Amino acid sequence: MKLLLLWIPLLFVPAVVHSNVVLTILIFTFILGILAVSFNLIFGFTGQLSLFHAAAFGLSAYATYLSMAHWGISFWLGALVGIVFVTLISIVIGAICFRFKLRELYFAIVTLAFSELARLVILNWNGFTNGSLGINFTLTPTVWVPGRGVIPVAGTLMWYYLSLAAVVLAVVFYTRIVHSWMGRCFASIRLNDELADTLGINVFRYKLISFVAGNIGAAVAGSLYAFYISYIDPNYFSLDQSLAIIAMALLGGREFVAAPIVGALVLTALPHVINVNAEARLLVYGLILILTILLMPRGIVGLAARRRRAA
Amino acid sequence: MLQLVVGQLLNGIIVGTLYAIIALGVTLTFGITGIVNFALGAFMMLGAYVTWYLTDGIGIPYPLAVALAVIFIALFGLVVDQALFRFTRNNLINGLIVSIGLISVIVAVVLMIWTTTPQNMHYVLPGVFRIGGVIVPRMKACVFVVLLLVILFTYGALTRTWAGRAAYAYAQNPEAAALMGVRTNVLQAGVAAYSAALAGLGGALYASLYSITPEIGSGYILKGVEAAILAGIGSVMGSFAGGIIIGVAEGVGSIFLPSAYNDAYGLVFLVLILLLKPAGLFAANR
Repeated sequence: MKLLLLWIPLLFVPAVVHSNVVLTILIFTFILGILAVSFNLIFGFTGQLSLFHAAAFGLSAYATYLSMAHWGISFWLGALVGIVFVTLISIVIGAICFRFKLRELYFAIVTLAFSELARLVILNWNGFTNGSLGINFTLTPTVWVPGRGVIPVAGTLMWYYLSLAAVVLAVVFYTRIVHSWMGRCFASIRLNDELADTLGINVFRYKLISFVAGNIGAAVAGSLYAFYISYIDPNYFSLDQSLAIIAMALLGGREFVAAPIVGALVLTALPHVINVNAEARLLVYGLILILTILLMPRGIVGLAARRRRAA
Repeated sequence: MLQLVVGQLLNGIIVGTLYAIIALGVTLTFGITGIVNFALGAFMMLGAYVTWYLTDGIGIPYPLAVALAVIFIALFGLVVDQALFRFTRNNLINGLIVSIGLISVIVAVVLMIWTTTPQNMHYVLPGVFRIGGVIVPRMKACVFVVLLLVILFTYGALTRTWAGRAAYAYAQNPEAAALMGVRTNVLQAGVAAYSAALAGLGGALYASLYSITPEIGSGYILKGVEAAILAGIGSVMGSFAGGIIIGVAEGVGSIFLPSAYNDAYGLVFLVLILLLKPAGLFAANR
């Protein structure tokens, strides 16, 4: 919990930095950071390579917007609809995968299959989702600000604080999980799930909890991301998106809850620092994946932590 | 109606053999190196582009271009195996992530050179066969025969030659095989190159039938992995059957359902098989 103090300087960044570009990079870092941190609960802490994360992100974005547009509810209720929807789907998929004891490759492939099925449905259900064209929208979240009443979230500054609050909540949430009895169960499953079973740990239950809790983070990130850029399309589900999530988690480091945010920062800032087109970005993502696995399997934070311990 | 069904059936069988050739590569690499190489789809795409460039760009006759493309992709596969996958042997997740990274590198490079515009090769072998009202383009029949021969050759080589039996022995017990004089490093590199060559051949033949884009690889590797798992990973003729099953399901299915859902059949089969008979369709009941 002492580490939470490290977040305080971020509160004052907008007072010092007035560059919209820097603040925008930080907003994307926070939102995608939630996505990467939640993915890492499933991948880094429980050892299951889920390829459903981008789909949870996209499904929640669609569910949030569509529920708002059709039922006229507020963003916060819409986001809740997104979270509940993703939770239910994750329980079904997780229960199927873990009841049948799918491991490693098979788990990755089956989650990829469900993710592709979700993408196909969104892509082809033209009347409801507008297919491959996606949806541009003008709805915005609203918040209550002391002294100013309920106002829409607009402008870089308000989005900065909203996304910062969300990422801090996510980090606190996942830190609590990882440092609890559940976190120990996740670790034992990651290291040897047969042994964990023999020791009386309910492997099915804890794998399912990890999968659902991770996907809830993806759902939150999906709602925020969609309303920050005011646009949704089936590319939310693409393999590139899954790739970016894995790259963030690996690059940041798998062993620490908040480390993937560092990966998110590097990958979000990179295209702005060196001005590259979409193809070059794909190339850089691929190279980062390969080189991180081969040369730096513990990620940036893991490497830094080892340096400090050695010094 | 019957004509339509039979026509789609034949179409499905031909597309299915293309899936099968990728599935064969997936199965062989997995059996010998313990890695599922998702980049085989990207190798196939690269093979298609190289073939197209050699024939329509430079003007080399098609059969020679196919041979050159296969050799090129095999060498590429060998280099990648020695430079990257050698360090992730028997670590499935790391190998998977490296291969996913490799896909985006290959796709990005192809996009930079040839852009997203679909490319169509000139007709290599125009004309059709008519079999009782059902029309089969000559080139499709030709592709089917070549792929079938290659799959049979692979099966024969694995069961009848020393190297093939060494590969089987290695897949069953690596240490014992090494003690019997199997040079494991050579075997693994050879299998990696051979799987890449199979994917390259699939791509080279694909180029003569359909338009090529940088995205074709992702669809084919997904079908390839589905076919390999469907039949039970590790079986040569099983991957052939798996590919045909998925191809035919798509072909015949597109008559009754919008073809937009074509990609879903393999996925549904895969999920059902993994849940109901995880050892694969053709595994003996135990």
